Amino acid sequence: MARHGSRAARIDRPRQLVGWGAFTGALIGLPVAALMGFQGMLAPRGRSELLAWVLFVVYAAGAGAVIGLVVAPRIRGLAVAACGGVVMGLLGWLFFWLTVDPVLHGRLPTWSVSAASEAYRNLVADLLHGGLVAVFLHELLLRWVYTSRSEPESPPAGRATRVVIVGGGFGGLAAAQRFERLALRGHGVDVTLISESNFLLFTPMLAEVASGALEPSHISAPIRAAVAFTRFRRGSVDEVSTTNQAVRLVEATGVEWIPYDHLILAVGSVPYFLDLPGVSEHAFTLKDLNDAVSLREHVIGLLERADHSDPDLMERRRLLTFVVAGGGFAGAEAIAEMFDLVQGVLRYFPGIAPDEPRFVLIHSRNSILPELPTELGSYALERLRARGIEFRLETRVVGATANDVELSDGRRIPTRSFVWTAGNRPGALIAGMGGEHAGNGALITDSSCRVAGLNGVWALGDCAQVPDVDNAGTSFPPTAQHALRQGKVVADNIVAVLAGRDPATFRFRALGLLVALGHRTAAADIRGHQFSGFVAWVLWRGIYLVKLPGLEKRIRVLVDWLLDLIFPRDIVLTARSVAPERPAAHAAEKAPQ
Amino acid sequence: MTTTGGLVGRLAAPGAASSATAGAAAGLVGGAVFGVAMASLGTLRTVASIVRTDSATVGFVVHMAIAAIIGSGFGVLVFRQRGQASEMLFWGLLYGAFWWFLGALTLLPLLTAQPVAWDLSSAQALLPSLIGHLYYGATTALVFVALRRDRGTKLRPRPGSAVRGVFAGLIVAAALYLVIDRMAGVRSGWIFVGGAAAGLGYPVLFSDRREGAGPALIRGTAYGFLWWILAAVTVPPLLRGATLNWSQAAVMASMDRLPGYLLLGGGIGLVFTGLGGVSRWLFVDDVRRLEPDSPGSRGLHALGYGALAGLVGGSVFTVVMVLVGELPTVAHLVGAQGAGAGLVVHLLIAQIIGVSYAMLFRRRSFDVASGVGWGVCYGFFWWTLGDLSLLPLLAGATLQWNATGIAAAFPSLVGHLGYGAAVGVVYFWLEARTNPWWITRSEVEGLRATSNREQTLGSAPALWGLIVLIALTIPVFVV
Repeated sequence: MARHGSRAARIDRPRQLVGWGAFTGALIGLPVAALMGFQGMLAPRGRSELLAWVLFVVYAAGAGAVIGLVVAPRIRGLAVAACGGVVMGLLGWLFFWLTVDPVLHGRLPTWSVSAASEAYRNLVADLLHGGLVAVFLHELLLRWVYTSRSEPESPPAGRATRVVIVGGGFGGLAAAQRFERLALRGHGVDVTLISESNFLLFTPMLAEVASGALEPSHISAPIRAAVAFTRFRRGSVDEVSTTNQAVRLVEATGVEWIPYDHLILAVGSVPYFLDLPGVSEHAFTLKDLNDAVSLREHVIGLLERADHSDPDLMERRRLLTFVVAGGGFAGAEAIAEMFDLVQGVLRYFPGIAPDEPRFVLIHSRNSILPELPTELGSYALERLRARGIEFRLETRVVGATANDVELSDGRRIPTRSFVWTAGNRPGALIAGMGGEHAGNGALITDSSCRVAGLNGVWALGDCAQVPDVDNAGTSFPPTAQHALRQGKVVADNIVAVLAGRDPATFRFRALGLLVALGHRTAAADIRGHQFSGFVAWVLWRGIYLVKLPGLEKRIRVLVDWLLDLIFPRDIVLTARSVAPERPAAHAAEKAPQ
Repeated sequence: MTTTGGLVGRLAAPGAASSATAGAAAGLVGGAVFGVAMASLGTLRTVASIVRTDSATVGFVVHMAIAAIIGSGFGVLVFRQRGQASEMLFWGLLYGAFWWFLGALTLLPLLTAQPVAWDLSSAQALLPSLIGHLYYGATTALVFVALRRDRGTKLRPRPGSAVRGVFAGLIVAAALYLVIDRMAGVRSGWIFVGGAAAGLGYPVLFSDRREGAGPALIRGTAYGFLWWILAAVTVPPLLRGATLNWSQAAVMASMDRLPGYLLLGGGIGLVFTGLGGVSRWLFVDDVRRLEPDSPGSRGLHALGYGALAGLVGGSVFTVVMVLVGELPTVAHLVGAQGAGAGLVVHLLIAQIIGVSYAMLFRRRSFDVASGVGWGVCYGFFWWTLGDLSLLPLLAGATLQWNATGIAAAFPSLVGHLGYGAAVGVVYFWLEARTNPWWITRSEVEGLRATSNREQTLGSAPALWGLIVLIALTIPVFVV
């Protein structure tokens, strides 16, 4: 971020300004005091002449210091300076002679016209003093004090420190926003944020986009608006040269190396298919807006096909069976939202019997939602089972084809809708970097988010493993609330390092966990307090609505939700193709930067 | 042979020296206007005493020489300012007022071996000179603009703007009529004529600029003061006796119209700008001419900041309210009694006005000085609107738009100025924390921000200075 286009000189040295202001104030105050003294106006209330002189000059120096601090920082010409001095002189008269002076004489201020009349000579003196001090200060600063400095606004020692943030998710954006705040406190750095998408995706609501409850653009906030003073580049980074301290930016127009002094890696994670045969080619994922929109289109498209009587019963079962792998937050929300979507629009498809659609969730453990307390996990399982969703627990997916999903127990589930949420890991950019890596490929950092062994490189969020110093041997989980706070801490730490201070340790206690389980149902654990059912659903919506970035998006999502209470879900297909939707083979480098 | 065009061309050439020359020439014209007034008032002999004579003719010559010198100083001073009439007029007024303090109250007595005239009674005796200095400043500024035509001046408003101005003037006049109608013994028919004339004059002077509603309100308030000087202080004596009467007694008698003119001017500025905004919103099909920021863009943040700034300002004001015992009066507004209820009402009002400050002055401050400037001016406007007008009206009392009433309200004026300064500084600080519009990410956006800042700064400092001067010279008028 930078200050562009300012023609006015700016002098950011408050102490110097106060010093020169006080000096000029006293200098101009002397002849004014002399004039008043010789005219018998200086000691009207029984003060000794000398004390009155000293007091006036001290007051004049103080007024000059204020003028130096308030008026002088922006040198904009004599007229503006003089005017500012006059205004400050008049306000000084109000403050001192009408307010403080009576108190010093043991009286309460009255601010009456008679009091003003009594102090009127000081008003004239302050007005002339203020105007003259500002004019002299202006000339003094411009012609003598700062003549050797060509551009007071330019960085004092060469260029500003360059910080490059890779990734526009919660962590990257939080870091950029923090830098903007820090810039206002005088810690100006040149920040460039690189992201493949030009918006921040609010991932907790992604499943609702997949089910058609929310419009895709309503859960995404434009990065340019969120960090209005940060340089933004839309593109992906495919290489980091820690030797030359530069990142290789790939844009639609070409390739460019962007140099950095400090690099923040906040690239998140990509789906990891465990090298299972056919899974990357045939599974849908739920990581970005395209995934959610594609899944919705796919489901509606299959319903369109199944609505016509199909003589092949097996094919009909494939069309109407929806399988999700992974019983974590994303998997549970995906299966619940798909259930709501299909059952909610089934009235438009008279050729499909209500009991025909089948929903299956496959999970490797014996209970779903392992991040939540056991009671809530059991509750979620019970509620979803009660709706007719099948669970294959302690079972793994071992492969997939265009027609079915193969399980570890040897069974096959015929389906054309297979959603993979069972694994994520950092993308190829992180894998190709030096430094230490955790088992899932994440960069191991110290407790201040600095990547060990890589000078000037910081990592946070899903692509980093940040140790939790309060719980030895553990690290912080890869959640949005952690990434967001790590972003702020990293920005603070970079500024601290630049100032020669030690970076701070990242400490954070998770506020809580919430999972939506479809229609008016959710489960929540907030600082040990457990909620479920409708109350948890209201909490989920309320909390995430507040956390959604930007008032405009909050209003739009709220309107979407309100409309969803009144109207059925939309079944419009925007894809042109009438062929069955299949996910494109997932490229390994689909990093959500 | 030197042609007039050649002279004007030289004067119009850029540079501080040519600006000083243009200022000297403009000062001569301003001096002539002031000189005629001095001749009418019979004060030229005082000036002649500088050169130890009492000849009015010599006094006029000396006066013109001084006017030229001071005019050249004006040229140097405003060399970097934009040259439109709308900007320069207020610089000229402030410059004239400043020279009243420096010249008439200080240097002239010193040069004639007299004590400086810094006490109130001397200042009151020299009140005609203050008004003369204001005319001198305004005339010098306008002629200076005409001579430096390279900076561009346009005193011909578009027909639509003229109609909008008259309409705005009539709307504000109608509102004032309803207020003034409650003042027994005050003729109020003049307000419609004055409103239409002032409304027409506003776009003549200021239509070449688009500005926010807040700055327009302050500009209009200063414009209203000009109208008071012209229509209430200068013209009536001329119509009655064909001679000027700028004496303190005459000015004091005209004080009953000062609040009306201040509200008229401020209202015209606000309504004129508001109508322009509505017109653009309805009829402009080129989005480049619309405001870049929609109201929803951090608008609620701004209102919250305004409420908080208002609370801080209200707390500052509370000190004055407590010491002058005004809180029970405020409590009467809601039918309550006691200082406690008054404090609650007072702080609520302070927050509401703070919110209105945020709406009017959002993104208009970029440093403490500009925050203080706008805030103090807004505080002064609310003293006129709130303390002098709405408070007695809502409390069921009679308006005291006269010297006695204004003098009695002087402590409240001090409180309003303190309130405004606090609101301006706090709001600036809050806005700068999250929304520093002058920090930009590209050269192109930087140019836009600079343009915005320059527009804000055009004559804004002069307006701030002029409003504060008007506020603090009130004791000269009313005692």
